[in-house]
Amino acid sequence: MSETRVLRQVERRIPQALLLGYVLVFFVFLLAPIFFVVLVSFSDAAFITFPVTDFSLRWYYRLLEYTPLLASLWFSLKLAAASAILAAILGVPAALALARSTSRVADVVSTFLLAPLSIPMILLGVALLYYLSAMGLGLSFISLLIAHTVVSIPYVVRTVVAVYRSVGRDYEESAAILGASNRQIFTYITLPLIGSGIFSGMLFAILISLDNLSLSLFFGSAQTNTLPVVMLSYLQNQFDPAIAAIGSVQMAIAFVVLLMIERTVGLEYMSSPS
Amino acid sequence: MNSCATKVSAETGIGLQLVQVSKSFGGVAALRPSSFSVPAGRMCALLGPSGCGKTTTLRIIAGFETPDAGRVVIAGQDRTDDPPQRRKLGMVFQNYSLFPHMTVEQNVAFGLRMARLPRAEIEARTHRMLDIVHLPQHGERYPNQLSGGQQQRVALARSLVTEPSMLLLDEPLGALDKNLREEMQFELRQLQREFGITTLLVTHDQEEALTMSDMIVVMNRGEILQVGTPTEVYERPRNRFVSEFLGTSNILTLIVTGRPDADTLRVRSAEASEGAEFCLPTSTTAEPGRAITVAIRPEHLHVVPLADRMPHGLTATVTGSVFRGASRVFQLRIPGFARPLFAYRQVTGPASATALPVGAPVSVSWTPGAMRVLDDE
Amino acid sequence: MTSDRAQLVNASLAARVAMPAPASARPGAQFAAGLLPVLPAVAFLLLFFVAPLVQNGAHSIWLPSPQGGRLSAAYYAKLFFDSYYLTVIGQTLLLSVIVTAICAVLGYPVAYFMVRHAGRWTGLIIFLLVAPLLTSIIMRTFGWSVILARNGVLNSTLLGLGFIERPLRLLQGPSSVIIGLVHVLVPFMVISIAAVLKGVDRRLEEAAQLLGAGRLRTFREVTLPLSLDGVATGSIVVFMLANGSFLTMLLLGGGSVVTLPLLIYQQFLLVQNLGFAAAMGNVLLALAVLSLFLQLRLIRRQGVHR
Repeated sequence: MSETRVLRQVERRIPQALLLGYVLVFFVFLLAPIFFVVLVSFSDAAFITFPVTDFSLRWYYRLLEYTPLLASLWFSLKLAAASAILAAILGVPAALALARSTSRVADVVSTFLLAPLSIPMILLGVALLYYLSAMGLGLSFISLLIAHTVVSIPYVVRTVVAVYRSVGRDYEESAAILGASNRQIFTYITLPLIGSGIFSGMLFAILISLDNLSLSLFFGSAQTNTLPVVMLSYLQNQFDPAIAAIGSVQMAIAFVVLLMIERTVGLEYMSSPS
Repeated sequence: MNSCATKVSAETGIGLQLVQVSKSFGGVAALRPSSFSVPAGRMCALLGPSGCGKTTTLRIIAGFETPDAGRVVIAGQDRTDDPPQRRKLGMVFQNYSLFPHMTVEQNVAFGLRMARLPRAEIEARTHRMLDIVHLPQHGERYPNQLSGGQQQRVALARSLVTEPSMLLLDEPLGALDKNLREEMQFELRQLQREFGITTLLVTHDQEEALTMSDMIVVMNRGEILQVGTPTEVYERPRNRFVSEFLGTSNILTLIVTGRPDADTLRVRSAEASEGAEFCLPTSTTAEPGRAITVAIRPEHLHVVPLADRMPHGLTATVTGSVFRGASRVFQLRIPGFARPLFAYRQVTGPASATALPVGAPVSVSWTPGAMRVLDDE
Repeated sequence: MTSDRAQLVNASLAARVAMPAPASARPGAQFAAGLLPVLPAVAFLLLFFVAPLVQNGAHSIWLPSPQGGRLSAAYYAKLFFDSYYLTVIGQTLLLSVIVTAICAVLGYPVAYFMVRHAGRWTGLIIFLLVAPLLTSIIMRTFGWSVILARNGVLNSTLLGLGFIERPLRLLQGPSSVIIGLVHVLVPFMVISIAAVLKGVDRRLEEAAQLLGAGRLRTFREVTLPLSLDGVATGSIVVFMLANGSFLTMLLLGGGSVVTLPLLIYQQFLLVQNLGFAAAMGNVLLALAVLSLFLQLRLIRRQGVHR
């Protein structure tokens, strides 16, 4: 009799085990390219081969020598920081106003501010290039800054609205009853409570900017090349493990930033589909 | 500590006055034009089911909503056009709303800091207030390290330290478990009396309102149904809703059949074309043939075996009996009334002594004033 | 004195009771000053998002000529009536549909697992889903070229295990493009489905089982229909993103798969035909707007309004 019970338990567990197995395979699929890139970056060979037999750090050292890569990394970091700050300056006040508003106008504005997320970036790149050139801005840091800010604003707005809504208005109302002026409420209550949301929104903006290729392609020039653009041309011209090395470095940066977001605000804000 | 009391009563003697205040949201009337006033230093409960308009009223008084019409007068000053910051109020929210990023002491000191008082005075008043609420050692803790009861005391301290002219409480005891609730009811009441501060309490719990307040405003569907002391509202409810919302009531519809004298009506059940008639002592005048509604509380019905009946008792049959620990509930069928009556009987000795078997004939009687005639709705 | 003051107050009250409260004292307005703070962001986007796209639209219907130029739908005509370009549009759509379907099938079980069986590992799963999204797309595509190359990981393993005799030619073909796209886009599908699946009350499934339905039947008739909204939302997101991608085709496809974005990229680099690129861009934009519209309708229906 206990045999049938064991059998039934096994029977119940089988679908679950199968599902678990599938999920494991799925994540192997998801993480495999990343794994192999990191693996190849430690290869000692002169070009990309598989399997990797000898390991060394020579390609990481090569990175330090290949000035266009380093220069573009520095440029990308500056651009990412600047666009995140600009997106925050524009987006945070908007988010605060939208979060507490229930009118239909607020809905429309909210959708409008999130719209850049849905437009194919290659289209935006072409359009912006001609538009900014007509304005006289051409291929410059400013042009890139503008372009990156346009696609960063939605991330900042979405994150801050979500965080501000989750905090709720009770604290601000309590502060008002206690005699705090609007400015005091913002300084002592609102800002401390949503600060992590603003910070995370800016981190998203930085990540998006660092990895942005479609937009940056159009504004590339000797002085204004971002890291992804340089990586792409390297990939198309010199197919050696240095590309894997810089990719691994970039992934490490993204990993750290992602952890920071996870610790402060959590990843739920990244996981909404729109 | 008594500065609140003297200040307020020196002004008008009226702590809060609402004059024809109304508010609609999107075409739906949340509060119909309503007026009432609370004497200075008293505790008033706004009592009613959810959606009755009590929270809207509270938010209008606090300044978070602007009324469509009417005036709000707090401690003699018309505050209708003032933002919450200027109304000199204290408020405890339902979930206390203690600032999570500040310590207990910083929370309590917040209002004083916003008023830019000198630091020494802030410290002194904060510490004194923490002593008063019995939390002298907790200044450095954060709200999430405190229990529910402690959080509520901090919330109280925070709102009272600024010496407001009125205190608003939004369902203050809802989040606490039963034992803590009873303890806090007494503590809150004591604090309020000590400070002599006009207080408005919003609740849906009739027991809370009855226990803690000097006056009750009963509301339903945006309207004020009755204003009075707890005793008045409980014992002399004006209409059916008030009667049923505060405690249980037996409601009977009767037809007046005669008027033996100035203080009595002879009535019978309206549900049957004939049936037992009885005399109802009441000052209400009503012509024979008219229907009236009366209410009597189960604890006011006196039930004895038929053999021991009283002169004016009604004959009835026991159709059910439930033992509730401190009391017994009888379900009674009285000829002429379709619905059963419920009667409570205190259990004073062994449980079996109060028992009456199902089917037993009994006599039901009550003291003259216990049966109230209700207003037509 | 008390009653004097009271009388004074009452008198002034009686006079003011009839007056409605002034709108300027609205407390709600204090906290947000209305919607004024949205102006900088809105202005910025109008200037650098809407205006360029409008200009782009204008370029697409302007045929330049030595005499100045004129309005014309020539570019669109070329797009829709030339069989080559029509094929490109068709390929774009077909590819997106295939990728969407594969993502839905592959992603649903993962979403189901995440919502129903993961428990305390849910956070880790979300992290693992999102992390690849934030690594460079170049890197992920490069990784696939390492794996799918003739002497790459996959072929070496399959050859070694004896499953195939000759290396598979996956790169520079549609299959690697599909694999690359699915790899990039399936997390979006999983997250969309999981969001809706989370809202499916377990008790409905339990009720079905009590009524005699087996596990499979319960899933098919209770769980799946209720979670279809998530599949729909995810599909629209994946479809939109697949439509707009060109890097994967560029790096893994080797010219075998030509989609609209890739064509725009090539037109821009090689031909510099602004008007034509603009027209193609507008077709892409129309597809994106349509998808966005559908998505909004769906989200509104779900009640997840914001």
